[in-house]
Amino acid sequence: MNTTLADTAGERPRSAAAPAAQKNLGETLITLVRREFWEHRALWLAPLAVVGLLVLCAAIGRIHIDLDDAGPVAGEAQRVAVLTIIQWVLAMPLYLVVMCVTAFYLLDCLYAERKDRSILFWKSLPVSDELTVSAKMLVALVVMPLAVFVLALAASLLFPVILGGRVLIGSLPPVFTWSTYEWARTEIVMLLVTLVAVLWYAPLAGYLLLVSAWARRAPILWATLPLVLSPVLEWVAFGTRHLADFINYRLNGIWWLLGVHNTHIITKHEVKPVGTALAVLNFRGALTSIDLWLGLAVTVALVYAAIRIRRYRDDT
Amino acid sequence: MSAVIEARGLTKSYGATRALDGVSFSVEAGRIVGLIGPNGAGKTTALKAILGLTSFSGELRVLGLDPRTQRDALMREVCFIADVAVLPRWLRVRQALDFVAGVHPYFDRAIAESFLKKTDIQMGSRVRELSKGMVTQLHLALVLAIDARLLVLDEPTLGLDLLYRRSFYDTLLNDYFDKERTILLTTHQVEEVENLFTDVIFINHGRVALSAAVEELGSRYQQVTIAAEQAARARELQPFYEREVFGRVAMYFEGRSPAELGAYGELRTPSIADLFVAKMQGTGRP
Repeated sequence: MNTTLADTAGERPRSAAAPAAQKNLGETLITLVRREFWEHRALWLAPLAVVGLLVLCAAIGRIHIDLDDAGPVAGEAQRVAVLTIIQWVLAMPLYLVVMCVTAFYLLDCLYAERKDRSILFWKSLPVSDELTVSAKMLVALVVMPLAVFVLALAASLLFPVILGGRVLIGSLPPVFTWSTYEWARTEIVMLLVTLVAVLWYAPLAGYLLLVSAWARRAPILWATLPLVLSPVLEWVAFGTRHLADFINYRLNGIWWLLGVHNTHIITKHEVKPVGTALAVLNFRGALTSIDLWLGLAVTVALVYAAIRIRRYRDDT
Repeated sequence: MSAVIEARGLTKSYGATRALDGVSFSVEAGRIVGLIGPNGAGKTTALKAILGLTSFSGELRVLGLDPRTQRDALMREVCFIADVAVLPRWLRVRQALDFVAGVHPYFDRAIAESFLKKTDIQMGSRVRELSKGMVTQLHLALVLAIDARLLVLDEPTLGLDLLYRRSFYDTLLNDYFDKERTILLTTHQVEEVENLFTDVIFINHGRVALSAAVEELGSRYQQVTIAAEQAARARELQPFYEREVFGRVAMYFEGRSPAELGAYGELRTPSIADLFVAKMQGTGRP
């Protein structure tokens, strides 16, 4: 590379003439992901807190079954269905909390390092902007969804034990029956829905990340105001509501692409195992939807923009 | 390509202000270079350009690399401490070591740990719990443990008390610096570190006002302390700066021979700090 340093090569652990060594990508990525969980502790504290609350509810709460009468849960099949509903109901708050903390995480992750000026420290290390920003998307789109799935799965194994114990000592009526088959089918539904939802919401994640990279202050306002104001402006100016429809579609469209309204798990007269949704939900249709893939293309563009902003921004 | 840093015609504007206005200099390997200038002179902009943190026009090679396009490769060979407050406040000391160990190919954790053992810093502490001086020690521990070829320090001891400042520079000189490493340093406390420098670059209004090895300064610049009544005659030799000291006049000359000046009064080589003041405030020749 140069001559002054070449003559000292060999005294040092590395030769100045040799190309610089590199950490392997896997180790770097794991380090970058760990760092996100050190900084944004809500990412793991909030879901664990929810699990704690749910355990508390299961241990001392009362289950109130509000069907027309207690009849429907009398049969064996109904009690198996109730097991899967418990699985689903446990997962709900976990998924909601994880979606919230992940959204706030995305809004904060590139903004916080500029606000506290630590960006100069991160940038003093040999980690590219591409890798840094990608690691944040990895946390939001892979690590967190997988983690919440595993957490919900663990809860779905723990709760039947707690509730079963209460049935044994007589503090609960025998409302559910364990069925490994139905339990597994419910987990499969959950995994598939998680996968489809991650792909559908990826552009939203990219949008939040971009706002985080761009906003000088108040990233929450910058992220929400355009979504709220632009439909209002459109309606005032043109009397149309295309933007509102579009935003609504990007926020909720996946659920009608999947056909959630066709599942009829809980009706007035019966409860069906969640696993029956496997035959009803249109996973193939959702995954082959052009809108989903367009969204992913937009995600790539948004992340790329966030990388460029982090690389070339000069306001520290 | 023998220089660690080779800058030619660096120019950078922020709106109407020219932060860098055609700056050229070069830094050889194994030197400790002081980049010295008043506030707003363009020091930090120059450092940012070297570190690939800002855009600019002009030619710049750092360790043979272009900081604009090869920043990631460059950062394996370059360390920098921007100033004391940039370690994230939520970071634990242990996590700082884990992180750098996880991403830097030339980080030797044992060196950082043995340095930290000599301080009062606890592995489990968060940066926000450390004093300013301790944060600097932690950052220094990280930098010492990285086998880099160029270390860039931008006001590393700003806001620290004298004891921390002294031990910072002592550590840098004794435990870090060797003939293969190069240090580029900006500071306001010139008097304190002037013995450290092997080279100085004065920068003012985005231009290089002086760039020289410290050992050359003695043959280029003279300071003569002259009795007031002799001053008028000495002025004919065109000092570029003068100031009154206890009723006598200290005059600063460039490129005059000691024999020429010795007749007027007490002759000596100006300190870097004096020379800096003279250069920045002097009105005469550049």
